[in-house]
Amino acid sequence: MKKNPYKVLGIKEGASYDEIKRAYRELAKKYHPDRYQNNPLADLAEEKMREINEAYEELMKNAGNYQYRADYEESYNNSNASQGTYKQQYQQQQSGSYSYNTQYQYQYENESDLENKVRMYINNGNIAEAQRILDKMKNRNAAWYYLQGLVFLRRGWYDRGYSSIQRAVNMDPANFEYRNALNNLNQQSTGYRHNNYYRNSYNSSPDMCNLCVNLWCLDTFCECLGGDLISCC
Amino acid sequence: MFGYVEPDKPELKIREYDVFRGYYCSLCKTLGRRYGQFSRLTLNYDLAFLYVLLDSLSSLPIRGKIQRCIVHPLKKRFILFSNNFAEYASDMNIILMYYNLEDKWNDERNVMGGSGTLALKRAFKKAKKRHPEKCASIENHLTRLSDLEKQGCDSVDEVAEEFAAIMRDIFECESIEDENDRKALGWMGYNLGRWIYILDAYEDIEKDVKNNSYNPLVSQYGFKGDNIKDFKESIREKVNFALTYSLSEVEKAYSLLAIEKNKGILDNILYSGLIVRTDKVLQERGIKDEKESL
Repeated sequence: MKKNPYKVLGIKEGASYDEIKRAYRELAKKYHPDRYQNNPLADLAEEKMREINEAYEELMKNAGNYQYRADYEESYNNSNASQGTYKQQYQQQQSGSYSYNTQYQYQYENESDLENKVRMYINNGNIAEAQRILDKMKNRNAAWYYLQGLVFLRRGWYDRGYSSIQRAVNMDPANFEYRNALNNLNQQSTGYRHNNYYRNSYNSSPDMCNLCVNLWCLDTFCECLGGDLISCC
Repeated sequence: MFGYVEPDKPELKIREYDVFRGYYCSLCKTLGRRYGQFSRLTLNYDLAFLYVLLDSLSSLPIRGKIQRCIVHPLKKRFILFSNNFAEYASDMNIILMYYNLEDKWNDERNVMGGSGTLALKRAFKKAKKRHPEKCASIENHLTRLSDLEKQGCDSVDEVAEEFAAIMRDIFECESIEDENDRKALGWMGYNLGRWIYILDAYEDIEKDVKNNSYNPLVSQYGFKGDNIKDFKESIREKVNFALTYSLSEVEKAYSLLAIEKNKGILDNILYSGLIVRTDKVLQERGIKDEKESL
């Protein structure tokens, strides 16, 4: 059964273009694959994203407005861009690792082959196997710490995961991937703290202090422009 | 260890507050009906949250009645009719609280723990009969947890894992038919358990150092016996990350659930209540005073 596209986007039937667009943007941000990296629920988020895209596409198609259609395509491509590269990487890794499968004895493989293998297992969600290979690797370089960090995060061991990735960054500060991962971690946690609900409830109410500062600023600006708002100061 | 998951009351609408309390009272009554009056004393907010969450996944309307109960004899209150989720949450409440009391008795010979265990024995047997597999799995994790604690394990992640796994078992309710929802619930429970365990450990640092009992944070970060305030201050950032990141994962799982009702209440808990609770513990604002000022 096909779902009602309005319901999928969480809007009323007959909502305006802007409303549809806003709802779509909001949801696309929420279920963006970047947010579900290293998360066992990534496949559910992907499915949700597909549902949202379909719903949006259908609403836009019915609308038949080319301007909005173009807008949509732009944002759709943006949101899928990272997913696309991700898939590409994934395929590369898969095809790359295919040939190693014939070699069963790890000692004949060099370290970077093992690294690729670990990456493949992480992407497949086979965390136990990834950990097993990591334990066998002798060379504990930045890449090793990075991959170990990813495995920890996937298991839910955030404290150790963070330290491992931090260590990888310290060992190889120039590496973009490691730094990116670390930033992403910090972003996820601060992002959660700065969610709309919390922000609206705790920062939105005007208080006296705010009012005074605003008045003072206004007065200063007025004086700069030659006028005066509060004549006594 | 329990009762950390609660709404951010000042931000709730009055209607939402009434409905939340309606769920809470309904769970309390269900406990009384199924497990006897004494069991009602063990009710905690975490399980009330579970009840609201599970019930919100079904699209049936909220139905209840304004009535009296023995706990609040003076005023009539809106109390929801019990359903299978209330029964599930009440079973889980008994199971968790029984193990918790038993643990207290075994570890510290706590009198409350001992007498509570005796009083809950019958109720626990009944609940165990209803969920034999869940109990077996929980017992498994508890044994491993107490082994790790005895060894003085110095990785907070490793110890928290066992407690988190228990919460995953509790949240993965079989009566939820949608497999995806169950998976998301499990991950939510897991991360919530992790958050509860670490938050509890941070809150108990002083007490544990004084009683010379095990605390994963003290072991991991090697408290040397100098100023305890400085120690807590020095690890605050790290603990904050572990807690907030766990919560962000809880939120990710939550946003994948097909919530049909009570969105206001759940959003309040997920996006505000949990943060407020975390900050209360991390910043050590007097929880007692806080309540009075509200």
